[in-house]
Amino acid sequence: MNWTGKDMDTYLLQKEYIDTLVIPLIKVEPALEKMKMSASAAEFTMLLSSMIETQFKGRMMFAPPFSYTASTGISELKTELLNSFKESPFKHIFFLTTDPAWVSSDDNGQVIWLPSIPLESMDVQLRQTILEDQLRQVLPKFTEKWASA
Amino acid sequence: MSSKVSRRQFLSYSLMGVGGFMVSAAVMPMVRFAIDPVLQAKTDGDFIATSQKVDELTDVPVRVDFTIKDRKDAWYKSDVSNTAWVYKEGDTVIALSPVCKHLGCTVNWEGDNHKNEFFCPCHAGRYEKNGKNVAGTPPLGPLDEFQVQEVDGFVYLGKTVPNTLV
Repeated sequence: MNWTGKDMDTYLLQKEYIDTLVIPLIKVEPALEKMKMSASAAEFTMLLSSMIETQFKGRMMFAPPFSYTASTGISELKTELLNSFKESPFKHIFFLTTDPAWVSSDDNGQVIWLPSIPLESMDVQLRQTILEDQLRQVLPKFTEKWASA
Repeated sequence: MSSKVSRRQFLSYSLMGVGGFMVSAAVMPMVRFAIDPVLQAKTDGDFIATSQKVDELTDVPVRVDFTIKDRKDAWYKSDVSNTAWVYKEGDTVIALSPVCKHLGCTVNWEGDNHKNEFFCPCHAGRYEKNGKNVAGTPPLGPLDEFQVQEVDGFVYLGKTVPNTLV
C-alpha cells in the first residue's frame, strides 16, 4: 500500500492484515560534488521501494519518504520517527536506506540497508534484473521479523 | 434564356460557392472534434509480446515478465512491467496473474516449500496450480487469468479475465 487516499481506504478496512510500515529514508546532499550521488541514491531507494510495495502490497504500508541532510542527527531522527509512529497500529516498522550511518544506530533489525547502485545509465531490462536481485536480498529480513513476532 | 447565365445568377452562384467553402472550413474541425472519440484507435485489448517461446513451456509454471509500453493514464505515459505465471496444460497455454486475490501481493510458485502450489508470502495464502484458492487460507477467489495468444511460436498476453479453469 502506498500513502495515497485510495490505498489508505483499503488499509482502514483491512487494518489487521497490513501490520508493517516501511519508511524510505533519503539523504539529500546539497554540496555540488555530492549532488549526483545523492540523487542517484534517492532514485534507487524509491525504485526499490516501489518494487517491494508491489511484492508485499497486502502487508506493508509505505510512508512517504523522509528526507534529511548531512547535519541531521541520525539517532535523534530515528527516535523521533519511532515515537511518532508508536501511536499508529503498525506492529512492525522498518527503515529502508542506502546511508550506512543508519546501520550503526540499529539495535533490533529495523534498518534495512542496501548499497546504492546507480541505475540511471542502465537499460530497463538490466535495471529490472538488478532491482529484483536486491529485492531477493531484502525479503528474508522482512519475513524473519514477521516470523519472530 | 436556355444556357445563358445572367450576371445576377453568376454572382449569386459564385457567392454561394465561396461562402460554402468558408463555412465548411469553420465547421469541419468542430465536427471532427465532436466525433473524435469514435475515430480514436483502441489502445487496450492489445496483446503484448513476451520473450517466452511456446515450445519451451512445460507443465511447470514459469515466470514471464513483460512490459506494456507507453501505457496512457490520462496524459501520463509510462512503461509498466508486468508478470505472469505461464504453463502448458496439454496443448493449451495457461497464463495466470500473480496478483493475490486477498490484498494484491505477488504470489510465487512453490514459495516457502509449498509443493505444487502458488504461495503468497504476505499472509500465507495458497492457490492450486490452476489458480484455485485453497480453502482455509485468506484469499477469497481464484487467481485471474491472462488472455493468451500464440504468434510465431511466442506467447502473447492480453488482458486479465476472471479465472475460467476453476
